[in-house]
Amino acid sequence: MFSKILIANRGEIALRILRACRTMGIEAVVAYSEADRDSLAVQLADEAICIGPSDARRSYLSVPAIISAAVVTGCDAIHPGYGFLSEDETFAEVVRAHDLTFIGPPPEVLDRFASKEGTRRLLGGYGLPTIPGSVGMLRDDEHALAEADRIGYPVLIKPSAGGGGKGMRMVRTPRELESSLRVCRSEAKSAFGDDALYLEKWLDDTRHVEVQVAVDRYGLGVQFGERDCSVQRRHQKILEEGPTTALSPAARAELCERAIHAVVAAGYENVGTLEFLVDAEGKAYFIEINCRIQVEHGVTEMLTGIDLVAMQIRIAAGEPLGMTQADVQPRGHAIEFRINAEDPAHDFRPGAGTVERYHAPGGPGIRMDSHLFPGYEVPPFYDSLLGKLIAWGPDRATAIERGRAALDELVVDGIVTNLEIHKALISSETFLEGRMTTNLLDRVGSAAFLAAAARP
Amino acid sequence: MPQDRDTGPDAARAAAHAGIERLMDTLLPSLIAKLATLNVGELEVREGDWQVRLRHPMAAGQDFGRRATDRSGQRAHAGHEAVGAPAPARALASGVVAGATTAASNGTLPALSPVGPGRTADGPPARDPGPGVPVPRGPIATSPAVGIFQPGSAAVAGARVKAGERLGAVDMLGIPQDVVAPADGIVASILVEGGTAVEYGQELVGIEATAGSEAR
Repeated sequence: MFSKILIANRGEIALRILRACRTMGIEAVVAYSEADRDSLAVQLADEAICIGPSDARRSYLSVPAIISAAVVTGCDAIHPGYGFLSEDETFAEVVRAHDLTFIGPPPEVLDRFASKEGTRRLLGGYGLPTIPGSVGMLRDDEHALAEADRIGYPVLIKPSAGGGGKGMRMVRTPRELESSLRVCRSEAKSAFGDDALYLEKWLDDTRHVEVQVAVDRYGLGVQFGERDCSVQRRHQKILEEGPTTALSPAARAELCERAIHAVVAAGYENVGTLEFLVDAEGKAYFIEINCRIQVEHGVTEMLTGIDLVAMQIRIAAGEPLGMTQADVQPRGHAIEFRINAEDPAHDFRPGAGTVERYHAPGGPGIRMDSHLFPGYEVPPFYDSLLGKLIAWGPDRATAIERGRAALDELVVDGIVTNLEIHKALISSETFLEGRMTTNLLDRVGSAAFLAAAARP
Repeated sequence: MPQDRDTGPDAARAAAHAGIERLMDTLLPSLIAKLATLNVGELEVREGDWQVRLRHPMAAGQDFGRRATDRSGQRAHAGHEAVGAPAPARALASGVVAGATTAASNGTLPALSPVGPGRTADGPPARDPGPGVPVPRGPIATSPAVGIFQPGSAAVAGARVKAGERLGAVDMLGIPQDVVAPADGIVASILVEGGTAVEYGQELVGIEATAGSEAR
């Protein structure tokens, strides 16, 4: 087992990893940028080291700074958290070259699953239903039209080299496709330096369901059930829950079984999540795999009682999984609310500022994962996640009731947060009936949503 | 305590106590006052069997806050380990660290117990070295990266430097990152020994800005 781990991340996940290290009796060093000097993880750490300025490219994204910090503090492993370098196979390679262990999949596994399109073909070959898409990159407009015809409109034009919405367009007709291809190519070229495009079937009114898995170095894999992450705003998750209301228990079980068999067969290692889109008929299509710990991992932890971060560390240290599928017994229902420094009344404009008052709710089934504290100055340089409020109950209705009470009890004063959208969601009919789709907020518009919630 | 005999272990202990008393009550305060007026970084005084080294914070790598680099600094310091167990260092109210040092310790006093970067054991985060210790005056060249500090030829006390002049480098995983003088002036003190691990932003070299130069 590792004697000392460098935590190469910030905010709530740095605190999460620190807590896992503490429970395992492993020393931890928190690496931080200048902007995070007063952050909670740094305050609570036994050891902390400043690795660079606020600019992430020279701190949290700087391979030499992170590895140098690990070397000079005598660490033997690095936990990359999520985002930043957590899925960067080059980083994982350099970590290994310095006789350190990257806590996550080994570099060759990260490499194998690096391409979204390649991963779909790989896991499709191992029995996962995948979203229909073009075979290979689009050679020219003629090829694009032929492929779109084969797949069936509407289709989504996607850039091969990156994400975040750049170079992406949904089109419903051949004419729309023709005119959009030009635009997408130039957007992709300027954003990623690569104008290669491919097509993916576009599903209206889908649900997003993902399966949490873990595979140890010896090929033993276990799935921990699924999470429903359908409540999104512009493809960003804001609320997650488990189990999903999109599928019957039998369909859920089948999806999870297929997922774990496919990743084990494809040689995945460590903790990961397989994402699926589920259409109105309940058909699931695999879209991508996340080879890291995710923001919403706490939902699964509340349902199963398992520490997924500790599991990452154990697998990376070469320990066997130490459990079988029969040992995984999810119980009850859990809902996570992502509390962001965003203003729902102004198009979710991100904000910064000082948290003047902070109070975390508690009580049965309530877990608050947050790096906030009274007086904390939220830095403007990074993502807007302030914390995650998770409510668990023996059934969905109880989880919702506890969640509502906890949201009312939660206090974050001094900065604007998206608390109101969560309060609106949790009282909306769509949510209560378990019928959320990924485009719900975008289609209805958050302002309308908030207004509807305000009406008695 | 009055002694009947003026030889033997009791007498020796009494003499030691008297010596320490003399140090604490008379010698030390006047030495500290003198150190403040002199333009030296360090002063060593012997009183009987006792040896006291007074170090001005600008002249020493003293860091009353805990940095991860303290421990690693000791690791990187393989050549400076004291022979035998050094006496534990205690910070006295006047900010002077006293203790019996062995000849082989090369003047490197043991690091204080860990607390947190730039912080004292039981206080809020602070940027200065600690209570009772004067904050370094003047511009300070700080580390541009996390790595091992390698002072250059210009990094000697008394050297005249210009703003932007290279004082050394921090080796970050084999990539040297230049440490530059923040202002025109004279190198007053090297705060960290060469070969020590440092973090981004750590204070490395104190400069005494010369008249007419721009302070940082």
